[in-house]
Amino acid sequence: MKHIIHTNGNVNGTARNTSDCPHVALPEEMFFIISIAGVLENLIILLAVIKNKTLQSPMYLFVCSLAVSDMLGSLYKIVENILIMFRNMGYLKPRGSFEATADDIIDTMFILSLLGSIFSLLAIAVDRYITIFHALQYHSIVTTRRTIATLAVIWTFCIGSGIAMVIFSHHVPTVLTFASLFPLMLVFILCLYVHMFLLARSHVRNISTLPRANMRGAITLTILLGVFIFCWAPFILHILLMTFCPRNPYCTCYMSLFQVNGMLIMCNGVIDPFIYAFRSPELRGAFRRMISYC
Amino acid sequence: MSAQRLISNRTFQQSVSNSDYTWEYEYYEIGPVSFEGLKAHKYSIVIGFWVGLAVFVIFMFFVLTLLTKTGAPHQDNVESSEKRFRMNSFVSDFGKPLDPDKVFSHQGNEESRSLFHCYINEVEHLDRAKVCHQTTAVDNDAQLQEAIRGSRRAEEELNRLMKFDIPNFVNTDQNSFGEDDLLISEPPIVLENKPVSQSSHKDLD
Repeated sequence: MKHIIHTNGNVNGTARNTSDCPHVALPEEMFFIISIAGVLENLIILLAVIKNKTLQSPMYLFVCSLAVSDMLGSLYKIVENILIMFRNMGYLKPRGSFEATADDIIDTMFILSLLGSIFSLLAIAVDRYITIFHALQYHSIVTTRRTIATLAVIWTFCIGSGIAMVIFSHHVPTVLTFASLFPLMLVFILCLYVHMFLLARSHVRNISTLPRANMRGAITLTILLGVFIFCWAPFILHILLMTFCPRNPYCTCYMSLFQVNGMLIMCNGVIDPFIYAFRSPELRGAFRRMISYC
Repeated sequence: MSAQRLISNRTFQQSVSNSDYTWEYEYYEIGPVSFEGLKAHKYSIVIGFWVGLAVFVIFMFFVLTLLTKTGAPHQDNVESSEKRFRMNSFVSDFGKPLDPDKVFSHQGNEESRSLFHCYINEVEHLDRAKVCHQTTAVDNDAQLQEAIRGSRRAEEELNRLMKFDIPNFVNTDQNSFGEDDLLISEPPIVLENKPVSQSSHKDLD
């Protein structure tokens, strides 16, 4: 984001007392490695689904949508790092018009990735919910055409919201809307999954399984939701603090960890394929076939 | 972000009038933040936030674990022991319980679909013979919908019986013999000495 590009470089010539909470700077190589890993993983998922006719079902289309938004997030980080490197090497002016435009574009990409991620996770949860609770009508409720239409609506909304948020980024209601999307979504997904989990648990109990199996379901669900919470919440808190208490020393100390929070979002893009896409045996099989052809 | 711009603009003008600051790289800097007179530790928000987050996730985990032990009582009251027995025998006959994902997501799964509808017939003991006969073809959704719409009660009962699978993780729950990795375990393939289940798994794959 803007203040990262402008403060990441040489912060010099100030008498400000920043030694108490220095900005934690992570090495750029780490950002590059994680971003490139994220892009590659999600690209593999997209290729596997595109090349395989049997994988073009609604469930995998939603997983693809998640992969696209994770890939956008990682691409954003790569482009931003390249711009910072150019700025440090002196090719870019700190406040030129080209830089400001590029900044806006990559901010839009970032918000698009965020919103796309949120709505894709929501769509995956709703799809699973319909699978469980309307098992008989699933095939008529969730058709491929409706899936594509839903995804088109979601992404159009995300693009529009992204552009609007970047244009109005300095207004408080924008930040509040953005920050409130996260807990709302979290609560909704939590309710869906807990309901599904209750039903699965009640059936599993009838087939005399070990209690260990139920524990595994609880662990899986905790991991699904825990990864989401751990990766997104720090950044959301950051933008809330940035809006409401930029000069408070406590808030400043929290905001000095901005790069760590950004790194967590990149990690979310890397971890999501493992907990959503690669858990499906069909996708793993398609992936192995792709590897064996190469 | 433009709030920061305004603040830095104001301080910029002050500093120009004061002395020799170079603000070239400080465009989005907030300005001097005094760290004197802090009552609590300066990283208290950071620590409090992460501790709160960890506590929340652990609490959520314990709630889920508790749910596994006590469960939802209304689910158990509705199911009779007879249906439970049928469910058990169905599962043991076909090894892996039907995955609604696989049944409804894969067009070419004729065999599993016909198995599914024969199961409806078997379990319900109602006049569902037509359901079984009609639905051996692949895309018979319309006819299926008619048959199902014919009796809402049967459908609800069947929903209760069929709700035993969650994509991507209840499969691991069914695998009571597995000591696989949490996240990346294969779905349960066979129960013991059930050759039928192996062939049905191969078809579903």
